[in-house]
Amino acid sequence: MENLNGLVLKVDALSIAFGGLKAVDNLSFDIKENEVFGLIGPNGAGKTTAFNCITQFYKPNSGTLLFKGRDEQVHDLQKKKVHEIIKLGLVRTFQNVELIRELSVIDNVLIGAHVDFISTIIDQAFRLPRARREEKALRKEALRILGVLGIEDRALLPAGGQPYGVLKKVEFARALMSNPRLIILDEPAAGLNDSETIELAKLIRKLRDELGCSILLVEHDMRLVMDVCDRICAISFGKFLAVGTPKEIKENRDVQIAYLGIEVEANA
Amino acid sequence: MKKLIKNPHLHFIFLGLLLMIVPKLAEMGLFKVSYVTTLGGTFILAIAALGLNILLGFSGLVSLGTAGFMGLAAYLSAYFTVDLGLSFELSLILAVVIPTIVGILVGLVSLKIEGIYLAIATLAVSEILRKTFEEFDFFTGGFSGKTASYPTLLGTYELDRAGMYYFVVAVLIIVMLITYNMMNGRLGRALNAMRGSEAASQAMGVNLLNHRLIAFALATMYASIAGVLYVHFIKYSYPSIWTLKLSLDFLAMIVIGGLRSIYGTLLGAFIVFAVPDLFLKQIPFFSEMSYVLNGVLIILVIIFYPNGLINMFADIKRLFNKLSKGEGK
Repeated sequence: MENLNGLVLKVDALSIAFGGLKAVDNLSFDIKENEVFGLIGPNGAGKTTAFNCITQFYKPNSGTLLFKGRDEQVHDLQKKKVHEIIKLGLVRTFQNVELIRELSVIDNVLIGAHVDFISTIIDQAFRLPRARREEKALRKEALRILGVLGIEDRALLPAGGQPYGVLKKVEFARALMSNPRLIILDEPAAGLNDSETIELAKLIRKLRDELGCSILLVEHDMRLVMDVCDRICAISFGKFLAVGTPKEIKENRDVQIAYLGIEVEANA
Repeated sequence: MKKLIKNPHLHFIFLGLLLMIVPKLAEMGLFKVSYVTTLGGTFILAIAALGLNILLGFSGLVSLGTAGFMGLAAYLSAYFTVDLGLSFELSLILAVVIPTIVGILVGLVSLKIEGIYLAIATLAVSEILRKTFEEFDFFTGGFSGKTASYPTLLGTYELDRAGMYYFVVAVLIIVMLITYNMMNGRLGRALNAMRGSEAASQAMGVNLLNHRLIAFALATMYASIAGVLYVHFIKYSYPSIWTLKLSLDFLAMIVIGGLRSIYGTLLGAFIVFAVPDLFLKQIPFFSEMSYVLNGVLIILVIIFYPNGLINMFADIKRLFNKLSKGEGK
């Protein structure tokens, strides 16, 4: 299989259609190691569909998806099932925080380590030493991650009563718990106020620098995208428009047309 | 010392010791000997209800087939010990393993469907099993039922009613401990995640079909253990016991007691099964009404304690703390 030199993810000629609608049409981009990569586009451009294809929630009609996993091996994502993706080191968050209200914050974070447990159900049922040791070690790791995000004091509280900003962080922590190579953030700024968004930008950079993982940001909030991304890919109606640095994207004519409708103005 | 008092495992064991005093109290004449049977029956039903709680409370899957699987295990154990003359231990293992395998097979077919459809599929299986109990009389004794005797443990210890009661309490406590361990670990978190959001749990690496199967198999296993204990404690089994009504009673137990609560399940079993038997039947008017009580209770609980009556104790404790603090000032 192809060796991904310096890349973590390579998307090539990805297409998926729902009935007659081509939601993603011949889309290609790649993400380098240690890069914050933005995927932008107007409403209905196919951003979410694209990353649902990457994470195998949808099976694409055609195209290739290659990913360099935690094991340094290159994997064909389409050969994996949805629940096998995280094991490779590819993890996502959700637009509308998907946590379990009844569980404590730390238990929610520990779900991120689901695939890392080696003790069996029997070990757990009888609390054999292996299960106890493992649970203790992972619990410590979860606390450390909560500490990095500054919410370790809430570890034992139920997730249900926490404010939205904290829940977003808990979901972040859960993603980090799986020790990922690439995190896909689905509109992380949605529902956050200005100061929270600024804090989020800081956090994203911190994660990239300290944990050395790549981040794919699917986002509406242009300020956040322009602020934190190294490179951006713009799409419209499922089609590739342009890829480049934030500055290049801002000046790109196709992007301006898609977002601001300059063409319409010119014709009028 | 404080750590010891707060250890949740010790709480279960302490509860077990407390429950074991009951036959002694009956011997001393503090209450009727028949209460021992009622309480033992309650604990047996609580075991099956715990399994349903794993399925419904933690995993969010509805089953109406608990009674069918429990009955299957009861008949199997009676058949193995009485007709085939197998030892109690061996027939216990066989009568738990066989229904569990049947349960897994049913699960493989039906767990791809969800919600109300799963409930209907399990109800159908349960009704098929009940019909089987009626028709295959060489194995089940048909309508006249099947009898079994108190078991002999390890071929030497012959249990009587009190002995069997101790055995039931011991099994109940072990099942509670195991359930506590599993539901507070990786499995419990995965099942919770599955109930909360299927998409998120899949993204976190939870294999949905596998975990549904595990939950279903555990529920069947618990029901089977309860079935075996039932037939050797009550000593008979009729097809009319294993009906939809019993499955609905299990549902009532966990809703009234508390979804996802281990103690709540026991409390629910006590309210649904033991309270009508122990108290209401003493009052002339209520003896006929005892089963109306379940319906009324469910409605009241859903309105006032949607997370189960077990939360009432937390409220009482809070109220008590508030009062004692108020006095301190």
